[in-house]
Amino acid sequence: MMGRGALTAWLRRLGGLVLIAALIATLRSVGLLDPERLVRGVRNLGIFARGLFPPDPSTLPTLGGAMLETIQIAFAGTAIGFVLALPLALLACPVLFGPPVTASVKLVLALVRTVPALFWAIVFVVAVGLGPAAGTLAVALYSLGYLGKLLYETFDGVDPEVVEAVRSVGCSRAQLARYAILPETANGILALLLFMFEYNVRASSIMGFVGAGGIGFYLLGYIQLLRYDLLLSGLLLTLAVVILIDWLSGLVRRMFLIPVTPAAPAE
Amino acid sequence: MTADRRPALEASDLWFSYSARRPVLRGVSLTAAAGEITIVLGVSGSGKTTLLKLCKGLLGPQRGAVRVLGEPVVAGRRRRLDPGVAYIPQHLGLVRNSGVLDNVLTGALGRVAELPSLLRRLPEDELRRAQALLERLGIGGKAAEKVYALSGGERQRVAIARALMQRPRLLLADEFVSQLDVLTSRDILTIVRGIAAEGVAVVVTTHEMELADRYADTVIVLRDGEKVLDRRAQAETITDIALALRG
Repeated sequence: MMGRGALTAWLRRLGGLVLIAALIATLRSVGLLDPERLVRGVRNLGIFARGLFPPDPSTLPTLGGAMLETIQIAFAGTAIGFVLALPLALLACPVLFGPPVTASVKLVLALVRTVPALFWAIVFVVAVGLGPAAGTLAVALYSLGYLGKLLYETFDGVDPEVVEAVRSVGCSRAQLARYAILPETANGILALLLFMFEYNVRASSIMGFVGAGGIGFYLLGYIQLLRYDLLLSGLLLTLAVVILIDWLSGLVRRMFLIPVTPAAPAE
Repeated sequence: MTADRRPALEASDLWFSYSARRPVLRGVSLTAAAGEITIVLGVSGSGKTTLLKLCKGLLGPQRGAVRVLGEPVVAGRRRRLDPGVAYIPQHLGLVRNSGVLDNVLTGALGRVAELPSLLRRLPEDELRRAQALLERLGIGGKAAEKVYALSGGERQRVAIARALMQRPRLLLADEFVSQLDVLTSRDILTIVRGIAAEGVAVVVTTHEMELADRYADTVIVLRDGEKVLDRRAQAETITDIALALRG
């Protein structure tokens, strides 16, 4: 008769074996246990890496224009998404509205978020044609879904005492939002907006893969033409712009954001 | 101090619990007269804050009723509250990112036109009144500063100015001097006494007996959600208060 401790140990061993078997089956299923394929992959990576260097800067003027378009897509998309997300986030704020309204708005935002940005780009390419307009609308919708959620969660975090104090003056819900919730969360709103813009610059750089404008169109083209040296130039340009925008965002944060718990001067 | 004993606030047989557990308030009644300071004393957890929230309409009693100048107070999570009843919470509830003047001006929101107010367009006389209140409270020079940059005593004054901006008939202040040093507390309560002298009924909660002894016209003591003392302040009251608090 097997003891309880031995049974547990046996079950653990069995569980471990099942996990390992599942992992092996998965790797086999996705083709990662095919030695010939793996060897070919390593060889191709070598060719790819050799092809990247030295980067060819000859198309930088063209890429610069495309990068500017990428930034424009991110900027306009973030702005449109924010303008749409702000009122929806307020509608999802339980301090201001009851469960039927807040739950409905949260559901809509969740639905918008479910769809990846690239899929929205395909939808808008179909709707408005190839080019940055489709990319901008895709980024706007994607931003709406995420900013909406992040904003209503920020509004939920407002100090209840501030809400009670301002409510007690006899104001309306709109006034409560205008004079308590929005100013109290101004730091958070600005931080979210900057984060979303930075994120969208990265996201917009692949919008061109589906013809929705920006530098992605060229990057995909260089991959298809096996011009990895041109691709590396494009990637380095993107990296430089992302670093620059990170730095600028940090500058804006330092300029506008106030300390959360500043020390009060002595009496 | 005025001798008008008209009850600005009448709360009768208030019962309230936040959950199915023991009620926070059990049958508490109180009246507060215009022109007087009523101090509600009690240790932490005795139900003082809940009592003030019921009087303001931020919470609704499970039993009992509250009337302000004869009008019933109707609670509701999203309904408009009576601007004639000012409420200063324990940590003041100031909007820290906003300026001092903006915080004071929120006190006028209950009576100004809504749409222009959303565009920050408030009547000129309200702006003048807000500035005058800040001058009166000794912080006229701080109008443009952000609240987070003020000292504790200055923030207290901003909260009082916001309350006065409402032109209140009743002022409810919850432990709002508990974090100040003795001298600043006295300054603030002297201001509050001046407000009462203008005919406003003032209800202040605190756990500091000395304040009741010095500033109260009426003292109420809560213990475990029940009122155990309610009497006019007299020289001998301090002993009774100590006994009532201790049980």
